[in-house]
Amino acid sequence: MNLQGEMRAVDNGVNTEALMGARATLEETPAAGLFTWRATCDWVDGTHTRSSVEGFFGLGEEQTRTRRFTFDADHPPQFAAADNGATPVEMVLSALASCLTAGVAAVAQHRGIQLHSVTAKVEGDMDVAGILGVDPDVRNGFSAIRVVFEIEAEATGDEIAALVAQSQKRSAVFDIIANPGTVEVSAA
Amino acid sequence: MKTLSAIVIGAGQCGLAMSRELTWRGVDHAVLDRGRLANSWRDERWDSLRLLTPNWMNGLPGLPYDGPDPDGYMTSAELLGRFERAAANGALPLKTRTRVLSVRPGTAGYAVQTDQGQMQARAVVIATGACTLPDLPECASDLPPMLHTTTALHYKRPEVLPDGPVLVVGASASGLQIARELALAGRRVILSVGTHLRLPRRYRGADILTWMEALGLLRMPYGEVDDIDRVRRTPSLTLLGSDEPRALDLNALQDMGVEIAGRLQAVRDDRALFSGGLVAHVQVADLKLGRLLDTIDTWIETAGIAGLAPPPERPVPTRVPAQPRLGLDFDAEKVGSVIWATGYRPDHGFLRMPVFDRHNRIRHDGGRVARGLYVMGLPYLRTRQSSHIAGAQDDARALAASLFADLARARAA
Repeated sequence: MNLQGEMRAVDNGVNTEALMGARATLEETPAAGLFTWRATCDWVDGTHTRSSVEGFFGLGEEQTRTRRFTFDADHPPQFAAADNGATPVEMVLSALASCLTAGVAAVAQHRGIQLHSVTAKVEGDMDVAGILGVDPDVRNGFSAIRVVFEIEAEATGDEIAALVAQSQKRSAVFDIIANPGTVEVSAA
Repeated sequence: MKTLSAIVIGAGQCGLAMSRELTWRGVDHAVLDRGRLANSWRDERWDSLRLLTPNWMNGLPGLPYDGPDPDGYMTSAELLGRFERAAANGALPLKTRTRVLSVRPGTAGYAVQTDQGQMQARAVVIATGACTLPDLPECASDLPPMLHTTTALHYKRPEVLPDGPVLVVGASASGLQIARELALAGRRVILSVGTHLRLPRRYRGADILTWMEALGLLRMPYGEVDDIDRVRRTPSLTLLGSDEPRALDLNALQDMGVEIAGRLQAVRDDRALFSGGLVAHVQVADLKLGRLLDTIDTWIETAGIAGLAPPPERPVPTRVPAQPRLGLDFDAEKVGSVIWATGYRPDHGFLRMPVFDRHNRIRHDGGRVARGLYVMGLPYLRTRQSSHIAGAQDDARALAASLFADLARARAA
């Protein structure tokens, strides 16, 4: 563990004090930790869609934020599509990388490790025979996902490996992808 | 009804140690046990079990290890024999076959209702152990009803399991040992691996626990530990007691043919679904092991004994199958049984007092729950040794002193 002086000098732009405060609050009032996240997706044309996110539920009430974010998704010309945005599966890979990278920053801050640069490279292997219905034995989704981090930081190789390990342990998207969950889709 | 000064519930290593401390202090008391002396060591362990701690760490109250093999690992039968000797040494006021049904605040301290009648005491010490009930995940109830299931508390030996592959859930000390024993008996074993630790049995010429003792890790007081709640939930040390020291890790098990899979996440449509995050769990265990061995190497350097110990070495990183399985179809793969080695929890349900946190764990400060109410034998109660056989004695000494002070205050009031 680093000395207090070193801890103060580290700045990865993460407010760990607020995060630790939130953790303490949830120990007292667990219900405040129950969140519902939302997205709305509109069909534009072909395989082109536009999703938006704005409000969410958490801390016991409906929450708002400063902006509404939108994401266009589509498919590339190789799928006979207009390429108006990333494919949904690329967005999943991006979400995984974003979640893990944010985790690396937060854990580094908490452990007093100054980061200089962090890059996550993600690859997902997929046999499209699944989604095209060519082979019922092939799953639709990724058969394997690999994330490789390139991290420059004031830390030893083992400390960096521990950052990456801890970010997986605390990652929502890693859990969503690696573990089974329940999804219910219906028509309103 | 006569009011005793103290009632100790449970006649294991903790109950014995506390009784001895109370006797020294002239505190009249009774030790109650639902069964016999050292009951869970008698009935709730598998046949081949040996203690994970070397014999020099297995002293009982008034009976330090005096056998020929201080570095060996005794069987449960040997431990039971020693329990009998330790109990015969002192005048243990033991009431066997006395199950405690409830403990409530009473007129003069606590009212203890047993299946043999009501008792009263000014102080109560709960020494019923940390491993009384199996701690099962929610999905345990989703298993196909016809499938044979058991837990590490009830498992005895490979021959009593139905034919067919065995799914062992949990990769701490119990799960690894049971998986090993089943593989040795020729069973196909699938081992579901979640958060776990990895430890070599020996390192640089000594038992790993000898180094941990030298480093002071076994005796660091609970008040000096960072995030004690988390430490108290840490999985058990994955060690094996055997006739010869042997490593017990996922590589050794895979060499024996055990297949490892991720954490069991759900059971759906008669299929077990495992996490795809196996690599993450394995990497964390390897990293933590590396850190411990680094600390030991540094200690050896600082102590100036590097010349006496064999040179540092690092175990091979844990191997993970290229494509760890994500599911197990019980029917299609003709699985014969599932063994839950997902941990244990204490059974403190008889305490009818608001002394529990929201996870139903008893709240205590180093074993002191309230005035005149104490608990023993829980993981890292006071030190890492609190759950070791000999560790009960240090805890009993400290808690008996506190209990004695409680009694004195009550008399003065």
